[in-house]
Amino acid sequence: MVTNLATAAPALVSPGLDLELSFTQALQGLGLSPQVAHLIWLPLPMALVLVAAIVGVLVTVWLERKISAAAQQRIGPEYAGPLGVLQPMADGLKLLVKEDVIPARADGLLFTLGPVLVLVPVILSWLIVPFGQNLLISNVGVGIFLWISLSSIQPIGLLMSGYASNNKYSLLGGLRAAAQSISYEIPLALSVLAVVMMSNSLSTVDIVDQQNGAGVLSWNVWRQPVGFLIFWICALAECERLPFDLPEAEEELVAGYQTEYAGMKFALFYLGSYINLVLSALLVSVLYLGGWGFPIPVEWLAGWLGQSVDAPVVQVITASVGIVMTVLKAYLLVFLAILLRWTTPRVRIDQLLDLGWKFLLPLSLANLLITAALKLVFPSAFGG
Amino acid sequence: MTIANSTELICFVVLAAVVVLGSLGVVLLSNIVYSAFLLGGVFMAVAGLYLLLNASFVAAAQVLVYVGAVNVLILFAIMLVNKREDLKPVEGLQLRRLLSGGVCAGLLILLVRVVVSTPWAVPGPAAIGEGATERIGEHLFTDYLLPFELASVLLLMAMIGAIVLARRDVLEADVGTGDAVDQGLIEKPSTPLLVDQSTR
Amino acid sequence: MFGFLKKVADYTRDAVDAANYLGQGLSVTFDHLRRRPITVQYPYEKLIPSERYRGRIHYEFDKCIACEVCVRVCPINLPVVDWVMNKETKKKELRNYSIDFGVCIFCGNCVEYCPTNCLSMTEEYELAAFDRHSLNYDNVALGRLPTSVTTDPSVQPLRELAYLPAGVMDPHGVPADQPRAGQLPAQVLEQLQANAAAGDEGESIENAPVGDKANG
Repeated sequence: MVTNLATAAPALVSPGLDLELSFTQALQGLGLSPQVAHLIWLPLPMALVLVAAIVGVLVTVWLERKISAAAQQRIGPEYAGPLGVLQPMADGLKLLVKEDVIPARADGLLFTLGPVLVLVPVILSWLIVPFGQNLLISNVGVGIFLWISLSSIQPIGLLMSGYASNNKYSLLGGLRAAAQSISYEIPLALSVLAVVMMSNSLSTVDIVDQQNGAGVLSWNVWRQPVGFLIFWICALAECERLPFDLPEAEEELVAGYQTEYAGMKFALFYLGSYINLVLSALLVSVLYLGGWGFPIPVEWLAGWLGQSVDAPVVQVITASVGIVMTVLKAYLLVFLAILLRWTTPRVRIDQLLDLGWKFLLPLSLANLLITAALKLVFPSAFGG
Repeated sequence: MTIANSTELICFVVLAAVVVLGSLGVVLLSNIVYSAFLLGGVFMAVAGLYLLLNASFVAAAQVLVYVGAVNVLILFAIMLVNKREDLKPVEGLQLRRLLSGGVCAGLLILLVRVVVSTPWAVPGPAAIGEGATERIGEHLFTDYLLPFELASVLLLMAMIGAIVLARRDVLEADVGTGDAVDQGLIEKPSTPLLVDQSTR
Repeated sequence: MFGFLKKVADYTRDAVDAANYLGQGLSVTFDHLRRRPITVQYPYEKLIPSERYRGRIHYEFDKCIACEVCVRVCPINLPVVDWVMNKETKKKELRNYSIDFGVCIFCGNCVEYCPTNCLSMTEEYELAAFDRHSLNYDNVALGRLPTSVTTDPSVQPLRELAYLPAGVMDPHGVPADQPRAGQLPAQVLEQLQANAAAGDEGESIENAPVGDKANG
């Protein structure tokens, strides 16, 4: 899949830092053919992003525990490393060495396949997250649409693990998770569509480029405030975060579809949900908060300092600032999600479906239509 | 043969094998849940074939619609059906199997004939790639507008049918069996459940 | 027509209100983030139990007259009073006394009604045991005095919130001699008596009984 997509990197207007080009050129300088050089390059960004996703999860878990503790006037993890930063590692290690239990009457094959099907689409979705003009695995043309379609695979994994556990709580949790996931996918896709309409492209890089004309003022959040809120609510529902954590509502369903899982398979679910949270936060920052863009455009700053944008030093600084800004925005949103977790009570299933189908869906449709109308009336402000 | 070509060939063989074996599994497995999950796998493999043809938008749409919506709904229907009934042996099963096998074989022969007799242009037209999204949109809103709208009407009909089947309370008799529907616990606007006793 | 419009207006107002409440809730949560943790690091730090804390019951064998009042006032007749009648002296002779703290609810009725004050409540609350039968304390175990949190050299005693000086939330590092917020009943009484001595005599008579109880 990646072999086909990654080659389709279109010529971009603004140059930016192109690591791939310099890497393959260096390898070709050593006497390798361009194809072999490309083949050697391919796994590198994938491995890097996999590591980044895992590290992001570790950081998020630590933040979650620390911020939760602070919100409740506790201390939180304290002894594993300074300020407990190694606590997520200890958790992961514990899950890794735990016994892998498959219940006697469960369906062993589906039971094993379920967590994998939950995790793989989430990790695959990192393909399209840009950290800079050329700092992403592949600038796929269908970009954000790929993420939406990949995230629609997840419910199958949830249903599979819920069914295979041979446990009523698991089955109910899996069904709830799938129902919630497909209900909130629609307003999510519609609010993404409004953004796509303004940038005339599904590619995440184009979406960010379109927002970076005038720094913070040109971010999509000002042009799409309703879409931003809808997207954030739906993203929380897709990640099964509070107040939408019905699939694993412990008072009703023990732990939902995870009830029978232990050890590394449970860890896969855990990992999947946190990677999904970080990914959603990253995509909110890409779609609405200007992605890698600094609040003041770097080109202006370079101009004021009398530096050329193409100078190597400026390019390296731009790329670093881009990565920092993307991660910073994403983690601000993660912080907000954790704060929301301790603020809002869990909704009931009827309230959840009411909110999804009777409130968010009409609202996102209206948002889409208004965006279309505004685009026709003010083509300069809303993407011609 | 370059690396890219051989990778493509390997991918094609694997995907084709998954499609064929998976479809056979969907039909032949006795466990209906396995069939449904395998169907999802077949849809994914078909999406992979689209991807090999450089039609990424169609592939993504295939995953979104068939795997994410159709297959999940099939699984939902299987897992929510609460009816426990003993299956009666069907009369003349052997004959029925032979007949349906004959029909399927006839269809296969017809398709093979078409494939063999059609003069395929090799290589086919160049893939549009990234521009496909716009082209599909243009076609959907110009020359394929009528089929597009008809499909949506069909979906609307399916939705109304689902509502009628699911909400038995609006009907006097069961749609399937014709028995009178027990409406004892369904609140109607004319006769509320909490009748005020003092006015009687 | 207007009914519909009213519905739309109500719906919109509800949505705005809901968003408003969410914002308020978020600000409360955010405000709590600023506050210091009030965690007590348990085995190393312990809160000082309050004066009327109802912990494990202390029993003095020599004071007991085996009247069994404690058994009668106990909700579940828990204390076991093992005595025999000495025919010669015509007096009860107490042989054993035990209370099972695995069953006791620490209501304090026995302490309240004991005519000789041989029962009393201590501030000991760490009653964990590996075997529930070892919670059945006999008269020897009941006669042991607990180690006070303030005298235990391995424990850092911390004051409870109500015993901290005014405005202090965190018990760590508060000097032991700093007085608590407000006055103790005895101090209130002293104040009142001083006032009474200085001013009108009639008021002190009304307050005296209340003050006596607080002192006792």
